[in-house]
Amino acid sequence: MTNTPTRRAFKVASIGANIAGSYLGYVLQSAFAGKTTREQKLKTTHARVARKVRDEMLLMRGPAMKLGQTLSLQTGILPEETLAELATLQMQAPGMHPSLVRVQVKTSLGKEPEELFETFSPKPFAAASLGQVHDATIHEGKRVAVKIQYPGIHDTIKSDFKWFRTITKPAQASGHIPKEAIDEMEKQISAETDYKREADNIEFFRKGLAPLSFVEVPGVFREYSSDKVLTMTFVRGRHLEQFLASRPSQKLRNQVGTNLFELFFFQLLKLGAFHADPHWGNYLFNDDCTIGLVDFGCSKRLLPASLEYLRGAYLYPGSRHSPEFRRLLETNYDNQGKKPSRAAIRALIDFAEEYRKVYPPEKGKQFVFDFSDKSFLTNYIRHATNLFRTKHVMTDYIFMARAEMGLYNTLHALKARVPTSEIVRKYL
Amino acid sequence: MATKTKAKTGKVRTPGKRAQSKQAIRDRIVKAALTLFQTKGFDTTTTKAIARRAGIAEGTVFNYFRTKEDIALFFFEEEVDHAIAAVRDDPRLRKAPLEEKLFKLVHSQLEFLAPYERFIGAALLHALNPASHLGAFSHRAQQLRHRYLAFVAELIEDSSPRRKNDAFSWLVPEAFWIYYLGVLLFWLYDTSKDKQHTLAFLDRSLNVGVSFLQTGRR
Repeated sequence: MTNTPTRRAFKVASIGANIAGSYLGYVLQSAFAGKTTREQKLKTTHARVARKVRDEMLLMRGPAMKLGQTLSLQTGILPEETLAELATLQMQAPGMHPSLVRVQVKTSLGKEPEELFETFSPKPFAAASLGQVHDATIHEGKRVAVKIQYPGIHDTIKSDFKWFRTITKPAQASGHIPKEAIDEMEKQISAETDYKREADNIEFFRKGLAPLSFVEVPGVFREYSSDKVLTMTFVRGRHLEQFLASRPSQKLRNQVGTNLFELFFFQLLKLGAFHADPHWGNYLFNDDCTIGLVDFGCSKRLLPASLEYLRGAYLYPGSRHSPEFRRLLETNYDNQGKKPSRAAIRALIDFAEEYRKVYPPEKGKQFVFDFSDKSFLTNYIRHATNLFRTKHVMTDYIFMARAEMGLYNTLHALKARVPTSEIVRKYL
Repeated sequence: MATKTKAKTGKVRTPGKRAQSKQAIRDRIVKAALTLFQTKGFDTTTTKAIARRAGIAEGTVFNYFRTKEDIALFFFEEEVDHAIAAVRDDPRLRKAPLEEKLFKLVHSQLEFLAPYERFIGAALLHALNPASHLGAFSHRAQQLRHRYLAFVAELIEDSSPRRKNDAFSWLVPEAFWIYYLGVLLFWLYDTSKDKQHTLAFLDRSLNVGVSFLQTGRR
């Protein structure tokens, strides 16, 4: 990919320019317009740019897509449905032919895959973020999945971010795209290129998620792995689209949805770390309601203070307009050395109100939330967008927002009914 | 270096003892020369030093090679033979697309050259000198280039046999030669770990190039 830095740079630049530029244009024009005209102009600008940005991001599918998706949330230029769609898309590297695959494995592990494994399928069976996955067997015919990274991807990400930082300088100066947000994204996305780190993540989650009997996390074979090759046990299951195509009963969808929901909150509230790439290819569903979770390249560990706030906020019993709740919000910002604006507090309170509908604190076992309700998803994203636009979002929550949005989008696709409050209460 | 030769009957016969020993000495000279080219530099290496390192008399070196440039050319001929064989003899490549065959060809060359990277840089400079035996304009170097490009042309024709007599078919291998020199330069200056940038460059540029070639020819 290093051969096309200019083309990539132009693409990244065009996304950055579309987001930052359209907003900047709006700010300039709005200085001379009345309130109604301003709102009208904002709408027109967004509608025009939204389609182009979305198409560009879908086309790139690389790290820039993830970057663009997160930033779109911040500037609110994409419709809610598109944001949800982007959250569950996968960043993809170009495909590799068998000769390149052999070179990558040999460079990394000293032997060609055909020598290293008992059997090795030269054709990939799945695309992974930054690489592709091959079917293979090791000693005694044990079936494994071998993830192989596309060459030079780490530097491609670095170069994408370098251009992105340059092009978004005005937006950074105005605070619309905070530097810390770009730093956080670069840190997370770059970390995905290190498969050794991913192997550590897998082992952490495999151990941590052991109490949840319905979750299957792959095992790592270190002797067949390196920073660019990751060999894991094969995880069974069907992707969401195939699962839904088999017309599962409402009962089955409810149970799978409930498990998925519990999996998210167990990670968040018990482990303090979560799988942060909600792309549908990373979840494998089975008729016995078990869920296979794969691709741990992007996982996020929350700061203790961020976690503390979530514990207090999810099932907050009183009014969210109360001074006590406001203090809870302010303490969270304070703990991380930040001071929220009044707009941010307002947006957070509105957001928390929205949450109250999904997780009513006063309700127990009998309460079931129906995720087939589309208005919830669009409302959630609208509130998230409003919050991001106050420029006071804490960077620690950026990847959580992505994971949570992905979860809701998946639950919506499943049309699942989930005892939300009961599950959250279990892990508080 | 081939250890077996094919007789006219097509049967494989093992070379005699005398030929084997000649080949072993030639290999020793080439190995010694390349080690010195790589460590001491091409220009400062003398045939005397090569002979000393190979543990033979200087006169013996001249029985095999007239100059150190001849040794270098011999090495490049081996490189091309190795790369052509890597593509031709790999059954897995028989039905592979053109870009993959070309990838394998160039990558096999780079793999062969890798232990002598410093020397390759110096040799590239020499290749620009019209008076040098190693130069791109010397008769032997031209022959080598033709052999290499004939193989590239063969691969291209195999991928689209109907277009064999295309008016531009002569141009494509020539363009490929310039491309190959570009890859070599890129590789020489690539400081990324395990030359990962070169791999990506090779892959992406061949994909674009072959798709351009095929679209243009359709």
